[in-house]
Amino acid sequence: MANTKVAIIAANGTLFDAYKVFNLATAAAASDAEVGIFFTFEGLNLIHKEAHKNLPLPVGKEHFGEGFKQANVPSIEELAGIAQELGIRLIGCQMTMDVMNLEKDAFIDGIEVGGAATFMEYAKDADITLSF
Amino acid sequence: MEVNKVIDAKGLACPMPIVKTKKVMDELNSGDILEVHATDKGAKSDLSAWAKSGGHEILKNTEEGDVLKFWIKKA
Repeated sequence: MANTKVAIIAANGTLFDAYKVFNLATAAAASDAEVGIFFTFEGLNLIHKEAHKNLPLPVGKEHFGEGFKQANVPSIEELAGIAQELGIRLIGCQMTMDVMNLEKDAFIDGIEVGGAATFMEYAKDADITLSF
Repeated sequence: MEVNKVIDAKGLACPMPIVKTKKVMDELNSGDILEVHATDKGAKSDLSAWAKSGGHEILKNTEEGDVLKFWIKKA
């Protein structure tokens, strides 16, 4: 997947959403694709220093918690670190941060902060665009 | 077959077998052979797809009980 560009929008903040976003992103980056993720609204939880350590299961799906432990899936904290090691661009939405009164230092180190136009500029020539 | 490196990815769930394989593959030279052991059932199609996307060649793969083994030659 070299010379393939992947643009992902993460707009939701449960544990399910986090795995969808980070598993696909890291698999793409491990296959040599260029990957960028735009975190907006609840999606910001996925890169929030504290929140991403303890993301909720979706309402009514709490019983899957045990399955996550048994399947030995990596933690979201770990996957976010792997994403950064693989060179994935993590872009936090400035507008959401303003609305939620969050500063950049509330998020994991190394993220970028940008607006919709920043992501659009990145995504305009993407080969694969995913939204979660 | 002369294997240059062996990865134990047993017990790891998606996407870790791929991530781990990528990291080790980066340290090898073209033509080197990497042997990967995994128990993630998805690894069978995932490692094949991963190898294809990077132009690497899967020389051989076996199933021994729950353990999937792959021999991949670096492009």
